[in-house]
Amino acid sequence: MDVPHRLNVTNVPEEEIEPFLDVTPELVQKRRSQGRIIFDRFIRHRAAIAGGIFLIVMFLFCFAGPLFWRIDPDLIPDNVITARFTPPDLAHPFGTDSVARDELARAIAGGKVSLLVALTSMAGAILLGIGIGSFAGFYGGILDNLLMRFTDVFLAVPLYLLLFVLSATFTDGSPASVVILIAIFGWTYAARLVRGEFLALRDREYVLAARTIGAKNLSLMFRHILPNAAGPIIVNATLLVGANVILESIMSFFGFGIKAPNPSWGNMVADGQGYFDRAPWLVFVPALLIFFTVLSFNLVGDGLRDALDPYMTER
Amino acid sequence: MGRYIIRRLLQAIPLMILLSIFLFTLIHLMPGGPEGVLFNPRLSAAGRAALRANFGLDDPPWLQYFKWVGRMLVGDFGTSFTTYQPVSGIIAARFPATLELFGFSLFLALIVAIALGMISAVRHATLTDYLVTTLSYFGLSMPIFLLGLLAQDIFGVQLHILPTSGTSTPGYVFDPFNAFLDHFLHLLLPMLVLSITFIAGWSRYMRSSMLDVIKQDYMRTARAKGVPFVRILIQHGLRNALIPLITVVAIDFGAVAGGAAVTEGVFAWPGMGLLFIESLDARDYPVLMAMLVLGAVFVIAFNLIADILYAVMDPRIRYS
Repeated sequence: MDVPHRLNVTNVPEEEIEPFLDVTPELVQKRRSQGRIIFDRFIRHRAAIAGGIFLIVMFLFCFAGPLFWRIDPDLIPDNVITARFTPPDLAHPFGTDSVARDELARAIAGGKVSLLVALTSMAGAILLGIGIGSFAGFYGGILDNLLMRFTDVFLAVPLYLLLFVLSATFTDGSPASVVILIAIFGWTYAARLVRGEFLALRDREYVLAARTIGAKNLSLMFRHILPNAAGPIIVNATLLVGANVILESIMSFFGFGIKAPNPSWGNMVADGQGYFDRAPWLVFVPALLIFFTVLSFNLVGDGLRDALDPYMTER
Repeated sequence: MGRYIIRRLLQAIPLMILLSIFLFTLIHLMPGGPEGVLFNPRLSAAGRAALRANFGLDDPPWLQYFKWVGRMLVGDFGTSFTTYQPVSGIIAARFPATLELFGFSLFLALIVAIALGMISAVRHATLTDYLVTTLSYFGLSMPIFLLGLLAQDIFGVQLHILPTSGTSTPGYVFDPFNAFLDHFLHLLLPMLVLSITFIAGWSRYMRSSMLDVIKQDYMRTARAKGVPFVRILIQHGLRNALIPLITVVAIDFGAVAGGAAVTEGVFAWPGMGLLFIESLDARDYPVLMAMLVLGAVFVIAFNLIADILYAVMDPRIRYS
């Protein structure tokens, strides 16, 4: 390489000088996108990966399952008396229940209902929580006080008791009513979380910068602050789905949530409970499905917490 | 310190007022209103009018509300629809059983959770830690009725060593010692099942709290001074790590009026939770409403206690 004449080099050899360091492009780390950083962090938690894979399998099971397993979950065959309570075998991998319905088909149908209810109520709760928490955290002052008092009222009532009473009185056993009910009482934690985040983030420089170029309050809240507060909200949302699955199953177990003939994992456990001695699979199939689904949501939620949090604080 | 307590008390009062309004509105929102709930649908018009006057339903809503609150403050919660007994008596009769179940479960759960949390934090990232965290994940994800049913099946049906429901064996009259033993055996399963749910949550809390404390400089200073490790752990580590945990415990104890409804339902433990479920099935609204109000009062009260405890243990809170 040519040595420039400006340098104070007297003894310039004629041949090329070998570069001292082999600074090739591969040593410079390729720039990863934000999503890629989070994904790489998430991948490091093997338990979270296992949970994620299980969830994917579960969703395929519930929503693509009926395409492959064609038996009708509500079908009561003619030979009910002999066909009821058959243990798991090739024709019925999960056995049959007290009226000889195929348990695998019911598990799929129940899973669809349980998962949809949990997800929709989570979405509703998160939306409500963001709506209330963002205004409370951003504006502060009296509005914050009022909204937090309002939230405290919802938090103070014992959740299960209130849900039982309300579902006994107001719902008709349909999934939609259960979704509304769970969402109405599930938003409180999300609201607190969002409020905390907004309180912390509204004094950041980028908010000030956006304000100086004339951004309106709503725009500041939802285009600037909210995306930065998204981390804990996403974690809370994931954990909330798991909690909602358990909540719905407990309600259905006591006969207050999703009622027959709509299947749900909770009321399948309740149905099977009376026959536990001669047909334990009727309890174990839905209960273990609930258990592993909730476990997977919890694992994924914790993995997301570790993946998103360091990114958030690593400014 | 006193000012802090008074301030928190003053904040709790409007909360209770709001709550009572909320619950009162709930009763009146039910399909058919109080009339639909109380009255025989085939009642004649005259009978209806008489009953309305009797129950004070002709008063304007705000007057009904104040009368209701006034009666509650004196302790009159109305009469049950099914047994025609005063509701306060019914609830008071069931409260000791729930208190017993809850109290013992919490006590056991506290000891185990603190121990597990400490061990897990001290042995961070070792096999013990992973085992404990895995078990706590399992405990958190397991629906309580599954745990209860499994426990009943294993210990009651398969092994025949523990009774599966109730508080005592029916039909037997024991001498005091055997009666106590019988009662204790009946308490064991529901207590264990209820504890596990608490342990799962609290041990994780304790573990993360302990991990934060262990990293502190004062721990390192004490160790450098030569203080024995166990003494550091208990005197410095535990005292500071317990602070957030105790507030969580106090808040969880506030759920006592909810009475661990699920556990009591599975084990037929005659406490307030089971009363709630029975009243739900019978649509016994006076009992239900009284329990909701009591439950909310307990939750608010124990939240207050948790805040006060936190201020007592952590002086930094008092002066903020």
